[in-house]
Amino acid sequence: MLTVPAIMTACRDAQQAILSGDEFQTLTEEEANEFAAMAARIIPSDETPGATEAGVIYFMDNVLGDESRAEILESLKSGMLEMQTVVALDYNAPYFHTLDATQQDAVLRQIETTPFFNTIRYLTVAGMFSLPEYGGNRNDIGFQLIGIPGHGAWSPPFGFYDADYMEKGE
Amino acid sequence: MAEASGPSFPTREEVDFVIIGSGAAGGVMAKELATAGHSVVLLEQGPHLQAADFNHDEWGNDHNQDHMWGAPQGHPQTFRKSEQDQAEERSTVCGYAHNVGGSSMHFSGNFWRFRPIDFMEASVRGTISGTNFADWPISYEDLEPYYTKVDWEVGVSGLQGPWDPPRSREYPCPPMPIKGPDVLLERAAKSMGLTPYPAPVAILSQPHNGRPGCIHCGFCNGFGCEVNAKSSSLVSMIPLALESGNCELRTYSTVFRIETDDSGRATEVLYFDREGNQQGQRTRAVVLCANGAETPRLLLMSESDLFPDGLANSSGMVGKNLMFNGYSTVVGMFDEEVNGYKSVPASRVVHDFYELDPELGFYGGGGIDARHPSRGTPLNFALSVDQMLGGPSWGSEFKNNLAYQFSHIAAFDGHTTSLPLESNNITLDPFVRDRWERPAIRCTYMDHPDDIATMEWFYNKSVELMEAAGGSNISGFYAENGQEGNVHLLGTCRMGSDPATSVVDANHRSHDVSNLFICDGSSLVTSGRGQPTMTIMALAFRAADLINQAAQRNEI
Repeated sequence: MLTVPAIMTACRDAQQAILSGDEFQTLTEEEANEFAAMAARIIPSDETPGATEAGVIYFMDNVLGDESRAEILESLKSGMLEMQTVVALDYNAPYFHTLDATQQDAVLRQIETTPFFNTIRYLTVAGMFSLPEYGGNRNDIGFQLIGIPGHGAWSPPFGFYDADYMEKGE
Repeated sequence: MAEASGPSFPTREEVDFVIIGSGAAGGVMAKELATAGHSVVLLEQGPHLQAADFNHDEWGNDHNQDHMWGAPQGHPQTFRKSEQDQAEERSTVCGYAHNVGGSSMHFSGNFWRFRPIDFMEASVRGTISGTNFADWPISYEDLEPYYTKVDWEVGVSGLQGPWDPPRSREYPCPPMPIKGPDVLLERAAKSMGLTPYPAPVAILSQPHNGRPGCIHCGFCNGFGCEVNAKSSSLVSMIPLALESGNCELRTYSTVFRIETDDSGRATEVLYFDREGNQQGQRTRAVVLCANGAETPRLLLMSESDLFPDGLANSSGMVGKNLMFNGYSTVVGMFDEEVNGYKSVPASRVVHDFYELDPELGFYGGGGIDARHPSRGTPLNFALSVDQMLGGPSWGSEFKNNLAYQFSHIAAFDGHTTSLPLESNNITLDPFVRDRWERPAIRCTYMDHPDDIATMEWFYNKSVELMEAAGGSNISGFYAENGQEGNVHLLGTCRMGSDPATSVVDANHRSHDVSNLFICDGSSLVTSGRGQPTMTIMALAFRAADLINQAAQRNEI
């Protein structure tokens, strides 16, 4: 079971790791900060934990280190610079991650049709719902979000409608 | 060293049979030929994974292509819609698992038999101009005993339905328990006067042949089964082939040529072993079961002075008539938890529309089953739900939608016919090569207008059913501009009596090379209604039976 203390611990671990900046194998500290901030707006932390607590940035760092994704990593680096140009023009600030959430959302709305944003979104969702061994989905936060308590075997009835069918016989 | 199992045959001495490919057909073939006492070398380009290797790893399966293989593993393919276009390089176009058991390892397990009409539809319905729509050289009655062998030896769960063709023996396992989406489909279909019934699946509902029943984990489609309840050739056939002591399985063995002698008989199969060393296994006969994309590629690569257009290709039909089957999906939201992500992909099917009324003005037919959309796995769902249902693709609302929709959604899917066309085909890409320097598979494909009309018809019927089921926020998809890839790879070395228009005869012996047999999805003359693997396995049992009989008569 995912308890509130477990979420808090995961959250604290994730933030500390991001702040320390030295755990990343592939991403620079700046990239990690920027991508993690984007992920945190794509799947925000509200009543339930989001991309930050799930450690999505560690998933990104892991899978972007794969040789077959070298081109994707390069495109993300240039995409980040273009995003930072938007940040500089609109907010006179150097980094996306230092903006407040409202400002960040406004920036993302400007770039949400770009390949850069779509790739970060893809990696965020993937980091939320892949097996934890890839670095994200810590404590099964993604699976918990969509209502799968664990993900092993099930037995009938599986849901409301088949339970109703079993009761009524058709 | 390649992983070796069973006996070890010297490559320079002839074995009775080399089987190329260990999938749905190759696995059956290996078991049938080896247990009949023949020496068999079974060549498989991938690894021999087992239940313990399988898990719920969507990232590894889908995004790293651990099983399917594609560009990341050095196996790019190319695609174009017509011969006028320049083919584009893609990671995967024709999808299949690269491992012992082939795609039967990761398939969804829907196991509809074909019906009598499938084998003689051109006669009954009439030929269709501009297509190669034709009767099969065999009938349902010819294949029925072998369908029953698949039921019992491979393991199928089901219940004879009102539309099903006659069967000589009941299913060995009762149908799977009904799921939420299927209750919704069944009730809607009955309200419309239709006759839904339990979907036959190659997944065990109870223990059978020493394998356990399904644990309903929901990770069937695209995944290996972690408890061996899914009836792949990997778990149902390969162990028997190896236990016979007559079959040597060579994994990581990538075939690049079938060698022939001056008399035009196949003599040797050339392949790269895991280290990339060239090997050649001498053999009395070759059985090619590499799938509807790999089989024609290998034949086209095996050209020679005697066979300038590719081996067994005097008809010009090698690689032609590729059929994907059509597809439509309609999703709806429901107030209570549907939880379609649990258990097998589908537990009910509506087969009232197997043959659409010719008065509609186009040819087609198919079935509708109920599922969880996008296969019911969390990552696949989360990546596609905004496109299915609309709504934002990021932010709090996106997150809240995900949390609710995964458990409250149902999909009604259409599975439909494809017409055989020469313009839909597999050829050798002239520019792109794989890691073994083999020409990449080039797929040229554009659905026939009738195929698209059929998909649209099933889409519209599924919308009606979804409305009758009480779904809200109904939306869906069919390939109105044509499909650009699939995992059903059918028709590319079709059976037929006439050597001028077909590649193999009714016994799966190639018309041109007397000791070359071809049996897999490529053998199909027509596409069926969207679930071909049952028929591929039945064809393999039948072909093996005929090969064994021919061997007894010394007629290989």
